[in-house]
Amino acid sequence: MKRAKGLRLAALALGGAVLLSGCVTRTEPSVSTQIFVMDTIMSLELWEGGSQEQLNQAVEQLYQWEDLWSATDEDSEIWAADHSGGEWVTLSGDTVDLLSQALDLCRLTGGALDLTAYSAVKAWGFTTGEYRVPGEEELAALADGIDHTQVELDRDACRVRLPAGMELDLGAVAKGYAGARLAEQLREQGVTSALLNLGGNVQTVGGKPDGSPWSVGVQDPASEQVDNLLAIQVVDQAVVTSGSYQRYFQQDGQTYWHILDPETAAPARTGLASVTVVGPDGTVCDGLATALFVLGEEAGIELWRAHPELGVQVIWVREDGSVALTEGLEENYQVNPQHRGLDMTVVEA
Amino acid sequence: MNKRTALLAALLAGAVLLCAGVIWRQHSGPGGGVLARVYQRGELMEEIRLDRVQEPYSFPLTGEGGAENVVEVEPGRIRIVSATCPDQVCVRQGWISDSTVPVVCLPNQVIVEIVGGEGFADTAAG
Repeated sequence: MKRAKGLRLAALALGGAVLLSGCVTRTEPSVSTQIFVMDTIMSLELWEGGSQEQLNQAVEQLYQWEDLWSATDEDSEIWAADHSGGEWVTLSGDTVDLLSQALDLCRLTGGALDLTAYSAVKAWGFTTGEYRVPGEEELAALADGIDHTQVELDRDACRVRLPAGMELDLGAVAKGYAGARLAEQLREQGVTSALLNLGGNVQTVGGKPDGSPWSVGVQDPASEQVDNLLAIQVVDQAVVTSGSYQRYFQQDGQTYWHILDPETAAPARTGLASVTVVGPDGTVCDGLATALFVLGEEAGIELWRAHPELGVQVIWVREDGSVALTEGLEENYQVNPQHRGLDMTVVEA
Repeated sequence: MNKRTALLAALLAGAVLLCAGVIWRQHSGPGGGVLARVYQRGELMEEIRLDRVQEPYSFPLTGEGGAENVVEVEPGRIRIVSATCPDQVCVRQGWISDSTVPVVCLPNQVIVEIVGGEGFADTAAG
Protein backbone atom coordinates (compact mmCIF):
# COMPACT_ATOMS: atom_id res chain seq x y z
CA MET A 1 0.00 0.00 0.00
CA LYS A 2 2.68 2.41 1.06
CA ARG A 3 4.77 1.51 -1.91
CA ALA A 4 1.94 2.19 -4.35
CA LYS A 5 1.40 5.57 -2.78
CA GLY A 6 5.06 6.39 -3.13
CA LEU A 7 5.06 5.52 -6.82
CA ARG A 8 1.95 7.56 -7.41
CA LEU A 9 3.64 10.47 -5.72
CA ALA A 10 6.66 9.99 -7.93
CA ALA A 11 4.49 9.91 -11.06
CA LEU A 12 2.73 13.07 -9.92
CA ALA A 13 6.05 14.77 -9.28
CA LEU A 14 7.27 13.77 -12.70
CA GLY A 15 4.13 15.18 -14.33
CA GLY A 16 4.52 18.38 -12.34
CA ALA A 17 8.13 18.77 -13.34
CA VAL A 18 7.19 18.30 -16.97
CA LEU A 19 4.49 20.96 -16.77
CA LEU A 20 6.57 23.44 -14.81
CA SER A 21 9.50 23.33 -17.18
CA GLY A 22 7.27 23.85 -20.22
CA CYS A 23 8.53 20.58 -21.50
CA VAL A 24 6.42 20.00 -24.60
CA THR A 25 8.02 18.14 -27.40
CA ARG A 26 7.90 20.12 -30.60
CA THR A 27 5.74 18.36 -33.13
CA GLU A 28 7.25 17.35 -36.44
CA PRO A 29 5.52 15.85 -39.46
CA SER A 30 5.32 12.11 -39.01
CA VAL A 31 6.66 11.69 -42.55
CA SER A 32 7.84 14.24 -45.11
CA THR A 33 9.91 14.62 -48.26
CA GLN A 34 11.04 17.12 -50.88
CA ILE A 35 11.27 16.10 -54.52
CA PHE A 36 12.10 17.70 -57.84
CA VAL A 37 9.22 16.87 -60.15
CA MET A 38 7.03 18.60 -62.77
CA ASP A 39 9.67 21.29 -63.33
CA THR A 40 9.54 22.44 -59.74
CA ILE A 41 10.20 21.42 -56.16
CA MET A 42 7.46 19.84 -54.11
CA SER A 43 7.36 19.43 -50.38
CA LEU A 44 4.98 16.87 -48.87
CA GLU A 45 4.42 16.79 -45.11
CA LEU A 46 2.02 14.29 -43.55
CA TRP A 47 1.45 15.45 -39.99
CA GLU A 48 -1.18 13.11 -38.64
CA GLY A 49 -2.51 9.74 -39.72
CA GLY A 50 0.06 9.36 -42.49
CA SER A 51 2.59 6.61 -43.13
CA GLN A 52 5.78 6.33 -45.14
CA GLU A 53 3.91 4.05 -47.54
CA GLN A 54 1.26 6.69 -48.23
CA LEU A 55 3.98 9.27 -48.77
CA ASN A 56 5.77 6.95 -51.22
CA GLN A 57 2.50 6.40 -53.07
CA ALA A 58 1.97 10.16 -53.39
CA VAL A 59 5.51 10.63 -54.71
CA GLU A 60 5.06 7.80 -57.21
CA GLN A 61 1.78 9.36 -58.34
CA LEU A 62 3.50 12.73 -58.96
CA TYR A 63 6.18 11.09 -61.11
CA GLN A 64 3.49 9.31 -63.13
CA TRP A 65 1.64 12.58 -63.73
CA GLU A 66 4.89 14.22 -64.77
CA ASP A 67 5.39 11.47 -67.35
CA LEU A 68 1.87 12.05 -68.71
CA TRP A 69 1.82 15.84 -68.76
CA SER A 70 5.33 17.07 -69.50
CA ALA A 71 5.28 19.32 -72.57
CA THR A 72 8.96 18.59 -73.22
CA ASP A 73 9.09 14.80 -72.75
CA GLU A 74 8.60 13.10 -76.11
CA ASP A 75 6.89 10.15 -74.43
CA SER A 76 4.18 12.22 -72.69
CA GLU A 77 0.54 12.36 -73.71
CA ILE A 78 0.73 16.14 -74.00
CA TRP A 79 3.73 15.89 -76.33
CA ALA A 80 1.76 13.42 -78.44
CA ALA A 81 -1.23 15.77 -78.59
CA ASP A 82 1.00 18.73 -79.48
CA HIS A 83 2.77 16.86 -82.29
CA SER A 84 -0.03 14.80 -83.81
CA GLY A 85 -0.41 17.01 -86.88
CA GLY A 86 -4.13 17.45 -86.30
CA GLU A 87 -4.91 13.79 -85.55
CA TRP A 88 -6.79 12.32 -82.57
CA VAL A 89 -4.58 11.23 -79.67
CA THR A 90 -5.66 8.75 -76.99
CA LEU A 91 -5.36 9.93 -73.39
CA SER A 92 -5.39 8.26 -69.99
CA GLY A 93 -8.28 8.88 -67.60
CA ASP A 94 -6.38 11.33 -65.40
CA THR A 95 -5.35 13.45 -68.40
CA VAL A 96 -8.94 13.56 -69.68
CA ASP A 97 -10.13 14.56 -66.20
CA LEU A 98 -7.56 17.35 -65.85
CA LEU A 99 -7.97 18.60 -69.42
CA SER A 100 -11.72 18.65 -69.06
CA GLN A 101 -11.61 20.71 -65.86
CA ALA A 102 -8.97 23.00 -67.35
CA LEU A 103 -10.99 23.66 -70.51
CA ASP A 104 -14.01 24.46 -68.31
CA LEU A 105 -11.87 27.10 -66.59
CA CYS A 106 -10.74 28.48 -69.97
CA ARG A 107 -14.42 28.97 -70.89
CA LEU A 108 -15.42 30.32 -67.47
CA THR A 109 -12.67 32.97 -67.65
CA GLY A 110 -13.55 33.94 -71.22
CA GLY A 111 -10.13 32.77 -72.41
CA ALA A 112 -8.11 34.77 -69.87
CA LEU A 113 -6.78 31.33 -69.05
CA ASP A 114 -5.85 29.59 -72.28
CA LEU A 115 -3.97 26.29 -72.34
CA THR A 116 -3.00 26.74 -75.96
CA ALA A 117 -0.53 29.59 -75.35
CA TYR A 118 2.45 27.21 -75.21
CA SER A 119 3.94 28.28 -78.55
CA ALA A 120 4.00 31.86 -77.28
CA VAL A 121 5.56 30.86 -73.97
CA LYS A 122 8.28 29.07 -75.95
CA ALA A 123 8.81 32.03 -78.29
CA TRP A 124 9.62 34.26 -75.28
CA GLY A 125 12.15 31.70 -74.06
CA PHE A 126 10.38 30.97 -70.78
CA THR A 127 10.73 27.23 -71.29
CA THR A 128 14.50 27.32 -71.74
CA GLY A 129 15.70 30.50 -70.05
CA GLU A 130 17.02 31.75 -73.41
CA TYR A 131 14.87 34.84 -73.29
CA ARG A 132 14.00 37.08 -76.22
CA VAL A 133 11.39 39.68 -77.08
CA PRO A 134 9.42 38.65 -80.20
CA GLY A 135 8.63 41.41 -82.70
CA GLU A 136 5.13 42.80 -83.28
CA GLU A 137 4.34 40.67 -86.30
CA GLU A 138 5.51 37.55 -84.58
CA LEU A 139 3.40 38.37 -81.53
CA ALA A 140 0.32 38.95 -83.67
CA ALA A 141 0.80 35.56 -85.33
CA LEU A 142 1.35 33.89 -81.97
CA ALA A 143 -1.78 35.51 -80.52
CA ASP A 144 -3.77 34.29 -83.53
CA GLY A 145 -2.64 30.76 -82.75
CA ILE A 146 -3.96 30.84 -79.18
CA ASP A 147 -7.51 29.51 -79.02
CA HIS A 148 -8.70 26.96 -76.49
CA THR A 149 -12.01 26.57 -78.34
CA GLN A 150 -10.10 24.70 -81.06
CA VAL A 151 -9.24 21.90 -78.64
CA GLU A 152 -11.59 18.97 -79.21
CA LEU A 153 -11.84 16.76 -76.16
CA ASP A 154 -13.81 13.54 -76.62
CA ARG A 155 -14.39 12.45 -73.03
CA ASP A 156 -16.21 9.21 -73.87
CA ALA A 157 -13.51 7.96 -76.21
CA CYS A 158 -10.72 9.42 -74.03
CA ARG A 159 -9.04 11.31 -76.84
CA VAL A 160 -8.09 14.83 -77.87
CA ARG A 161 -7.44 16.63 -81.14
CA LEU A 162 -5.67 19.93 -81.74
CA PRO A 163 -5.29 21.78 -85.02
CA ALA A 164 -1.90 21.03 -86.55
CA GLY A 165 0.73 23.40 -85.15
CA MET A 166 -1.21 24.29 -82.02
CA GLU A 167 0.46 23.35 -78.74
CA LEU A 168 -1.18 23.08 -75.37
CA ASP A 169 0.44 22.94 -71.97
CA LEU A 170 -1.06 22.07 -68.60
CA GLY A 171 1.46 24.09 -66.59
CA ALA A 172 -1.18 26.55 -65.38
CA VAL A 173 -3.36 23.86 -63.80
CA ALA A 174 -1.36 20.63 -63.32
CA LYS A 175 0.12 21.43 -59.90
CA GLY A 176 -3.24 22.58 -58.56
CA TYR A 177 -4.90 19.43 -59.87
CA ALA A 178 -2.13 17.26 -58.40
CA GLY A 179 -2.63 18.90 -55.01
CA ALA A 180 -6.39 18.42 -55.14
CA ARG A 181 -6.10 14.76 -56.13
CA LEU A 182 -3.41 13.97 -53.56
CA ALA A 183 -5.40 15.69 -50.80
CA GLU A 184 -8.46 13.65 -51.71
CA GLN A 185 -6.42 10.44 -51.71
CA LEU A 186 -4.79 11.22 -48.37
CA ARG A 187 -8.13 12.05 -46.74
CA GLU A 188 -9.53 8.72 -47.94
CA GLN A 189 -6.53 6.99 -46.43
CA GLY A 190 -7.25 8.54 -43.04
CA VAL A 191 -4.71 11.35 -43.07
CA THR A 192 -6.21 14.18 -40.98
CA SER A 193 -3.40 16.71 -41.19
CA ALA A 194 -1.08 17.36 -44.12
CA LEU A 195 0.68 20.31 -45.75
CA LEU A 196 1.64 20.05 -49.42
CA ASN A 197 3.59 22.78 -51.18
CA LEU A 198 3.75 21.83 -54.85
CA GLY A 199 6.08 24.45 -56.27
CA GLY A 200 4.26 27.30 -54.57
CA ASN A 201 0.80 25.74 -54.96
CA VAL A 202 -0.22 25.12 -51.37
CA GLN A 203 -2.73 22.39 -50.58
CA THR A 204 -3.77 21.64 -47.02
CA VAL A 205 -5.48 18.56 -45.60
CA GLY A 206 -7.35 19.40 -42.40
CA GLY A 207 -5.68 21.86 -40.05
CA LYS A 208 -2.59 21.46 -37.91
CA PRO A 209 -2.45 18.47 -35.56
CA ASP A 210 -3.57 20.68 -32.67
CA GLY A 211 -6.70 21.63 -34.62
CA SER A 212 -5.67 25.19 -35.44
CA PRO A 213 -5.65 26.30 -39.10
CA TRP A 214 -2.56 26.31 -41.29
CA SER A 215 -0.99 29.71 -41.81
CA VAL A 216 -0.04 30.30 -45.46
CA GLY A 217 2.07 33.30 -46.41
CA VAL A 218 1.39 35.56 -49.38
CA GLN A 219 4.72 36.85 -50.61
CA ASP A 220 5.70 40.45 -51.10
CA PRO A 221 6.26 40.67 -54.87
CA ALA A 222 8.47 43.74 -54.50
CA SER A 223 10.82 42.32 -51.89
CA GLU A 224 14.34 41.37 -52.84
CA GLN A 225 14.25 38.62 -50.27
CA VAL A 226 11.70 36.02 -49.31
CA ASP A 227 9.22 38.04 -47.33
CA ASN A 228 5.51 37.62 -46.66
CA LEU A 229 3.11 40.56 -46.78
CA LEU A 230 0.46 38.67 -44.90
CA ALA A 231 -0.65 35.19 -44.01
CA ILE A 232 -4.06 33.61 -44.31
CA GLN A 233 -5.48 30.90 -42.10
CA VAL A 234 -6.88 27.90 -43.93
CA VAL A 235 -8.24 24.42 -43.26
CA ASP A 236 -8.69 21.86 -46.06
CA GLN A 237 -8.04 24.45 -48.76
CA ALA A 238 -5.69 25.28 -51.58
CA VAL A 239 -3.79 28.57 -51.86
CA VAL A 240 -2.24 29.48 -55.21
CA THR A 241 -0.41 32.64 -56.31
CA SER A 242 0.35 33.86 -59.82
CA GLY A 243 2.84 36.69 -59.83
CA SER A 244 5.03 38.65 -62.18
CA TYR A 245 7.93 38.24 -59.73
CA GLN A 246 8.09 34.45 -60.13
CA ARG A 247 9.75 34.19 -63.53
CA TYR A 248 10.86 37.16 -65.57
CA PHE A 249 13.71 38.77 -67.47
CA GLN A 250 14.78 42.32 -68.18
CA GLN A 251 15.80 43.82 -71.47
CA ASP A 252 16.34 47.48 -72.43
CA GLY A 253 14.90 48.64 -69.13
CA GLN A 254 11.67 46.67 -69.51
CA THR A 255 10.64 43.71 -67.40
CA TYR A 256 8.95 40.78 -69.14
CA TRP A 257 7.25 38.06 -67.10
CA HIS A 258 5.94 34.60 -67.89
CA ILE A 259 2.20 35.23 -67.48
CA LEU A 260 1.08 36.05 -71.01
CA ASP A 261 -2.17 37.66 -72.10
CA PRO A 262 -3.68 35.24 -74.65
CA GLU A 263 -5.01 38.22 -76.62
CA THR A 264 -1.59 39.74 -77.24
CA ALA A 265 0.80 36.81 -76.59
CA ALA A 266 2.79 39.33 -74.51
CA PRO A 267 3.15 39.61 -70.70
CA ALA A 268 -0.16 40.65 -69.12
CA ARG A 269 0.24 44.23 -67.80
CA THR A 270 -2.68 45.27 -65.66
CA GLY A 271 -1.02 47.00 -62.72
CA LEU A 272 -1.00 43.81 -60.66
CA ALA A 273 2.09 42.22 -59.13
CA SER A 274 0.35 39.06 -57.95
CA VAL A 275 -3.01 37.36 -57.49
CA THR A 276 -3.64 34.71 -54.85
CA VAL A 277 -6.69 32.46 -54.95
CA VAL A 278 -7.89 30.49 -51.92
CA GLY A 279 -10.53 27.79 -52.21
CA PRO A 280 -11.59 24.19 -51.80
CA ASP A 281 -10.50 23.02 -55.26
CA GLY A 282 -6.80 23.24 -56.14
CA THR A 283 -7.40 23.03 -59.90
CA VAL A 284 -9.81 25.98 -59.81
CA CYS A 285 -7.45 28.01 -57.61
CA ASP A 286 -4.50 27.35 -59.92
CA GLY A 287 -6.29 28.18 -63.17
CA LEU A 288 -8.08 31.20 -61.71
CA ALA A 289 -4.88 32.69 -60.28
CA THR A 290 -3.47 32.91 -63.80
CA ALA A 291 -6.74 34.14 -65.31
CA LEU A 292 -7.28 36.82 -62.66
CA PHE A 293 -3.73 38.09 -63.15
CA VAL A 294 -4.41 38.41 -66.88
CA LEU A 295 -7.82 40.06 -66.38
CA GLY A 296 -6.60 42.73 -63.97
CA GLU A 297 -8.31 43.83 -60.80
CA GLU A 298 -11.55 45.33 -62.09
CA ALA A 299 -12.52 42.55 -64.48
CA GLY A 300 -11.29 40.02 -61.93
CA ILE A 301 -13.60 41.37 -59.24
CA GLU A 302 -16.48 41.12 -61.71
CA LEU A 303 -15.63 37.50 -62.45
CA TRP A 304 -15.33 36.73 -58.74
CA ARG A 305 -18.73 38.32 -58.02
CA ALA A 306 -20.34 36.43 -60.90
CA HIS A 307 -19.16 33.01 -59.66
CA PRO A 308 -19.91 32.53 -55.98
CA GLU A 309 -20.40 28.81 -56.70
CA LEU A 310 -16.62 28.42 -56.99
CA GLY A 311 -16.28 29.19 -53.29
CA VAL A 312 -13.00 31.06 -53.77
CA GLN A 313 -11.52 34.12 -52.10
CA VAL A 314 -8.94 36.35 -53.76
CA ILE A 315 -6.03 38.60 -52.80
CA TRP A 316 -4.80 41.14 -55.34
CA VAL A 317 -1.38 42.73 -54.74
CA ARG A 318 -0.92 45.80 -56.93
CA GLU A 319 2.36 47.00 -58.36
CA ASP A 320 2.33 49.90 -55.88
CA GLY A 321 2.31 47.39 -53.00
CA SER A 322 -1.29 47.96 -51.91
CA VAL A 323 -3.63 45.03 -51.43
CA ALA A 324 -7.29 44.21 -52.06
CA LEU A 325 -8.87 41.10 -50.62
CA THR A 326 -12.34 39.61 -50.81
CA GLU A 327 -14.59 39.77 -47.80
CA GLY A 328 -14.45 36.05 -47.00
CA LEU A 329 -10.84 36.50 -45.91
CA GLU A 330 -11.47 39.47 -43.66
CA GLU A 331 -11.46 37.37 -40.50
CA ASN A 332 -8.71 35.02 -41.65
CA TYR A 333 -5.61 37.01 -42.32
CA GLN A 334 -2.71 38.52 -40.41
CA VAL A 335 -0.50 41.28 -41.74
CA ASN A 336 3.20 40.60 -41.23
CA PRO A 337 4.34 43.00 -38.47
CA GLN A 338 7.14 44.09 -40.80
CA HIS A 339 4.48 45.45 -43.14
CA ARG A 340 2.44 47.32 -40.56
CA GLY A 341 0.47 50.03 -42.28
CA LEU A 342 -0.15 47.90 -45.37
CA ASP A 343 -2.71 49.66 -47.58
CA MET A 344 -5.59 47.19 -47.66
CA THR A 345 -9.11 47.33 -49.03
CA VAL A 346 -11.85 44.75 -48.70
CA VAL A 347 -13.84 43.74 -51.78
CA GLU A 348 -17.48 42.98 -51.04
CA ALA A 349 -19.48 40.31 -52.81
CA MET B 1 17.19 8.29 2.75
CA ASN B 2 14.98 5.27 2.23
CA LYS B 3 14.50 3.48 -1.05
CA ARG B 4 11.29 5.26 -1.92
CA THR B 5 12.75 8.69 -1.44
CA ALA B 6 15.75 7.70 -3.50
CA LEU B 7 13.49 6.49 -6.33
CA LEU B 8 11.51 9.72 -6.20
CA ALA B 9 14.66 11.83 -6.28
CA ALA B 10 16.05 9.82 -9.18
CA LEU B 11 12.82 10.18 -11.15
CA LEU B 12 12.70 13.92 -10.52
CA ALA B 13 16.31 14.36 -11.51
CA GLY B 14 15.67 12.36 -14.66
CA ALA B 15 12.63 14.48 -15.54
CA VAL B 16 14.55 17.72 -15.02
CA LEU B 17 17.42 16.52 -17.21
CA LEU B 18 15.04 15.35 -19.94
CA CYS B 19 13.23 18.68 -20.00
CA ALA B 20 16.45 20.65 -19.95
CA GLY B 21 17.52 18.63 -22.96
CA VAL B 22 14.30 19.28 -24.86
CA ILE B 23 14.36 23.00 -24.03
CA TRP B 24 17.96 23.23 -25.14
CA ARG B 25 17.03 21.58 -28.43
CA GLN B 26 14.12 23.94 -28.95
CA HIS B 27 16.10 27.07 -28.24
CA SER B 28 19.49 26.36 -29.59
CA GLY B 29 19.11 23.35 -31.84
CA PRO B 30 17.14 23.00 -35.07
CA GLY B 31 14.07 24.26 -33.21
CA GLY B 32 15.72 27.63 -32.77
CA GLY B 33 15.29 28.38 -36.44
CA VAL B 34 18.98 28.80 -36.88
CA LEU B 35 20.00 25.58 -38.60
CA ALA B 36 20.42 25.86 -42.35
CA ARG B 37 20.83 22.82 -44.56
CA VAL B 38 22.23 22.91 -48.08
CA TYR B 39 21.39 20.04 -50.42
CA GLN B 40 22.71 19.32 -53.89
CA ARG B 41 21.01 16.61 -55.95
CA GLY B 42 19.41 15.21 -52.80
CA GLU B 43 22.67 15.01 -50.89
CA LEU B 44 23.22 17.03 -47.71
CA MET B 45 26.30 19.14 -48.43
CA GLU B 46 26.43 21.59 -45.52
CA GLU B 47 24.74 22.13 -42.19
CA ILE B 48 25.22 25.61 -40.79
CA ARG B 49 24.30 27.06 -37.40
CA LEU B 50 23.30 30.54 -38.55
CA ASP B 51 23.35 31.98 -35.01
CA ARG B 52 26.99 31.03 -34.64
CA VAL B 53 28.10 32.75 -37.83
CA GLN B 54 30.45 35.57 -36.84
CA GLU B 55 31.69 36.87 -40.18
CA PRO B 56 29.85 36.67 -43.51
CA TYR B 57 31.32 34.06 -45.85
CA SER B 58 30.43 32.24 -49.03
CA PHE B 59 31.18 28.91 -50.65
CA PRO B 60 30.60 27.41 -54.10
CA LEU B 61 28.68 24.24 -54.96
CA THR B 62 29.94 22.79 -58.19
CA GLY B 63 27.83 20.39 -60.21
CA GLU B 64 27.82 18.61 -63.52
CA GLY B 65 28.74 20.40 -66.76
CA GLY B 66 30.23 23.47 -65.07
CA ALA B 67 27.12 24.20 -62.98
CA GLU B 68 27.87 26.34 -59.96
CA ASN B 69 25.85 27.97 -57.19
CA VAL B 70 27.52 30.27 -54.68
CA VAL B 71 25.92 30.24 -51.23
CA GLU B 72 26.38 33.28 -49.01
CA VAL B 73 26.01 33.07 -45.24
CA GLU B 74 25.52 35.92 -42.75
CA PRO B 75 24.53 35.84 -39.10
CA GLY B 76 20.92 34.62 -39.08
CA ARG B 77 20.42 34.41 -42.83
CA ILE B 78 21.49 32.63 -45.99
CA ARG B 79 21.02 32.95 -49.77
CA ILE B 80 22.26 31.87 -53.16
CA VAL B 81 24.21 34.90 -54.34
CA SER B 82 25.08 33.70 -57.84
CA ALA B 83 24.34 30.75 -60.10
CA THR B 84 25.17 29.51 -63.56
CA CYS B 85 21.53 28.53 -64.23
CA PRO B 86 19.79 30.43 -67.05
CA ASP B 87 16.68 31.54 -65.13
CA GLN B 88 18.32 33.01 -61.98
CA VAL B 89 15.17 32.32 -59.96
CA CYS B 90 17.23 31.13 -56.96
CA VAL B 91 19.36 34.28 -56.94
CA ARG B 92 16.29 36.52 -57.14
CA GLN B 93 14.68 34.75 -54.21
CA GLY B 94 17.26 36.48 -52.04
CA TRP B 95 17.84 35.91 -48.33
CA ILE B 96 15.87 33.57 -46.14
CA SER B 97 15.94 33.78 -42.37
CA ASP B 98 13.16 31.40 -41.34
CA SER B 99 11.67 28.07 -42.34
CA THR B 100 8.69 29.37 -44.36
CA VAL B 101 10.16 28.57 -47.79
CA PRO B 102 13.50 27.21 -49.02
CA VAL B 103 15.70 28.78 -51.71
CA VAL B 104 15.70 26.45 -54.69
CA CYS B 105 17.75 26.22 -57.88
CA LEU B 106 15.84 23.86 -60.14
CA PRO B 107 18.36 23.50 -62.98
CA ASN B 108 21.20 22.62 -60.59
CA GLN B 109 18.96 20.87 -58.03
CA VAL B 110 20.17 22.88 -55.06
CA ILE B 111 18.03 23.45 -51.97
CA VAL B 112 18.90 25.83 -49.15
CA GLU B 113 16.49 25.47 -46.25
CA ILE B 114 16.15 26.53 -42.65
CA VAL B 115 14.80 23.92 -40.30
CA GLY B 116 12.33 24.44 -37.47
CA GLY B 117 12.07 27.63 -35.49
CA GLU B 118 9.46 30.33 -35.44
CA GLY B 119 8.40 31.43 -38.89
CA PHE B 120 5.75 34.02 -39.72
CA ALA B 121 3.75 31.30 -41.51
CA ASP B 122 3.78 27.50 -41.93
CA THR B 123 4.51 27.81 -45.63
CA ALA B 124 4.04 30.33 -48.43
CA ALA B 125 2.24 30.33 -51.76
CA GLY B 126 3.87 31.67 -54.90
